[in-house]
Order: sequence, then structure tokens, then C-alpha cells
Amino acid sequence: MLRSMGIFALTLIFSLPLGLLISFGRMSKNRLLRTITKIYISVMRGTPLMLQLLVVYFGPYYLFGMKIGGGYRFTAIIIGFSLNYAAYFAEIYRAGIESMPVGQYEAAQVLGYGKISCFFRIIFPQVVKRILPSVTNEVITLVKDTSLSFSLAYAEMFTIAKQIAASQTTFMPFVVAAVFYYVFNLVVAVVMEQIEKRLNYYQ
Amino acid sequence: MKKNWMAGAVAAALAVSMTMGTVSMADERTTFTVGFDAEYPPYGYMDDDGEYTGFDLELAQAVCDLEGWELIKTPIDWDSKDLELESGSIDCIWSGFTINGREDNYAWSYPYVDNSQVIVVAEDSGIASLEDLAGKIVGVQAASAALELLSEDGDQADLAATFGTLQEFADYNTAFVELQAGSIDAVAMDIGVAQYQIKEKEGYIILEEELNSEQYGIGFRLDDEELRDTVNEALLALVEDGTVAELAEKYELSDMVCLGEGILDEAETETEAVTE
Repeated sequence: MLRSMGIFALTLIFSLPLGLLISFGRMSKNRLLRTITKIYISVMRGTPLMLQLLVVYFGPYYLFGMKIGGGYRFTAIIIGFSLNYAAYFAEIYRAGIESMPVGQYEAAQVLGYGKISCFFRIIFPQVVKRILPSVTNEVITLVKDTSLSFSLAYAEMFTIAKQIAASQTTFMPFVVAAVFYYVFNLVVAVVMEQIEKRLNYYQ
Repeated sequence: MKKNWMAGAVAAALAVSMTMGTVSMADERTTFTVGFDAEYPPYGYMDDDGEYTGFDLELAQAVCDLEGWELIKTPIDWDSKDLELESGSIDCIWSGFTINGREDNYAWSYPYVDNSQVIVVAEDSGIASLEDLAGKIVGVQAASAALELLSEDGDQADLAATFGTLQEFADYNTAFVELQAGSIDAVAMDIGVAQYQIKEKEGYIILEEELNSEQYGIGFRLDDEELRDTVNEALLALVEDGTVAELAEKYELSDMVCLGEGILDEAETETEAVTE
């Protein structure tokens, strides 16, 4: 159970900032950077996460002949999940940022804000408010996706449930697993709703 | 600004790849990493305390005790077993692993269990022989020896052609639940696992006609014969001191365990010949 939560927490920590960086690249004036990030997002969203995990873990051996040790297993899972989720988050950020009216940038410029402080002080806080519901969607999917990490032989909660089910030949562990996922996601939904309310300071 | 974080990201990626490269090839072996299917009782499974155990794992532990290695039990996704072995994530596949049909793919240990592939059906299903399976839905584990037998180039391909459907499952437990629920008519599986399942659940029988007989071995990388030989020696030592027989009895596999048969006899006749 802790293992599933570990994947969940670390993936969010890495993929949320990474997603923002990728969204900058996606909206960049530099054509090369824009194309690269566009391809990145396209590949990450267009191929199964399970396949990406296999590539991240086994890739170093098959591509470069490196022997991989047990310690890399968990790292590979976090890298795979973060890269994948960052692609989705990048598009959510982009939707939020592009929805901001141009007038705000112009007003900020008139008031003497630089580009960076304009973004972080004026634009970004509003973006966060707008994209929260979409982010909640992704976060809930992430909770359930943690079960994919068994493709790298990482025994997280659902795998353990399957193993207990096999040795006891019952179906009960699956019920327990379902309850766990539901409660976890309920907590996620409630927390996100609270955050939304907190940020809703203009209404 | 942007260039800076791009450089940072590249540096981070490099750092990660460097640490992966430092895993040494250990001249002096201290650990022994066994890959196994944790949903495969009685060979490998999770016990009531949440520990991985089973005939194979206890035997592996005995080998490690003998050699002074630390046993690392790694439950793997059965479909990725070759990736795990090839890439060096695990040292061997030790999980009720059928030799027959895979002879050239691995460096094999001595065979240690005489196994057969059988069909499990509900007692009241009216299915009594392999012929009765015509038109029925038969379940089998993906990437298993039973599936190999029943697939197009397998020894039982003709039989499989009479089935209504050959349904693949990720694990036997799911297949068995489907059998109970009535959505499939029979399950093809290893006899050891079948015995474990019907002991736990009433109303199921194993068809007397078997699909084949085969043997289990421990699979090592083809270029890792040295490790294979060391484990082989340890296994023979464990047969002689009675550990293997003890474990076989504990897991009710006494009829099936064949480790040392033939091999030890040969050794004895050799020594006899020498004394003569």
C-alpha cells in the first residue's frame, strides 16, 4: 500500500514541474524546441504507459548493453510515470495559459512587470485555478495506473492482492483492493475540491 | 533561462544513466536473485504472513545457505521473464519452469520435478476425457507450457483444434474463478498447481488423460553455465542430506520430485566401477 502511495507521490512531485517546462517548450517561439516537445507529447500520449515502463527499465541493457541491477527498478518506474504524466500535464498547462486574455500581459507590461514576474505573479496563479479540475482527473487516473508498475516486477498493492488471491484461492483480496483505490481517490477528490474552494477568492 | 534548465535536464539524465552502469559484475557472488511467478502455488506464492514461500523458494534458500549467498526473491511478470533474465535483473528463473520445448533457450539445471500438464473440469460437467472437450472453452495461462502444447506448433495442436475457444489468462487463479463462474469449461495447467487448486475448492477433478509429461528445471542465461553448475552441485548435496525429500513431503510433491534420480545412480555405479 505504501509502495503504491510512493509511486503516486513521487510521480506528482516530478511530473507537475516537468509538465510546466514542457508546456513552455510547446508554446516556445523557437521552432525547433516547439517541434521537439510536440513529438515528445505525441509519443508519450500515443504509446501505452506499460510499454514506456519496459523501455525505460530494459532499454539501457538492450540499447547500450548495461547490466541493470535491482536498485534501478523503482527509479525506472518513477522516471517512466513522470515522463508520461508530464506530457499530459503539459497540455493541460498549455490550455490554461493560452486561455488567458492578451490584455493582461499588456496591462502588466504597462505597469512595469518583466516577462518572468508577469507570468509567475499574474498569469500562473490564475492558470492554476482554471486547470484544477483537469488536473484532478489525471491525478485520479494516476492512482489507478500505479498497478501498471508490476510490468517491471515491482510488487505494489494490486499485485500483492493478486498474489494473495492466488495462494488463498479467493476473490476477497480484490474487494479489499477496490476499497483501497476508492478511498484513496475519494481523499484525492476531496482534497482537490478544498484547494479549488481556497483558490476561489474572487467569487 | 530555458537553455539552462534544458542543460540541467540532460545532466540529470546522464547522472541517472551513469549510476545504472556502476552495478558491478560481482566476481565474488554474494547474492542470488531468483525470478519467480508469485501466483504459482505450491512452487512459489505469498503465505499468510505476507512472505514469499513455496517448494522452489525454500529449495533456493537451502542452496543459498549452502553457498553462503543471500537469496533475493523477485516476483516477476511471467510475460517479461526473458527480459528480466537477459538484462541481468535476475540470475535465474526458478518457478516450476518447464524444460520441454525450451531446451535450447536456457542453460538448464538438473530436472527436479516430474510434471505433467492436465485438464481440470467441474465434477458435474460431464467431461470425462480429452475428446469430450470438443467445442468447449478451455482456459490456459499466457506464456505457459500448457499454452505452448496447445498452440499451433505444439504437440497437442490437433486436440486444441477441436476446442471451441482457447482462452488465455494472465494467471491461473483468474482462470479458476472463471471455471467456477461457468464462463469457461476447463482449465489446462500443471498437475502440481491443479492439485493445490482442487484441494482448496471442492467439486473439481483432474482428467485422467494427461496432455503430456515433462520436467521442471531452473533456467539460467545460456552464457552463465558456471552458476548453473554451482547450483547443480548444491542441489545434489541437498538430495543426499535429505533436505529435498523433506521439502517435497512438506509441499506434498513427493511423488513428483525427481532430483538426483539417475544422476546419483550413475555416480554410484561409477564409483563402484572404480573400486572394482
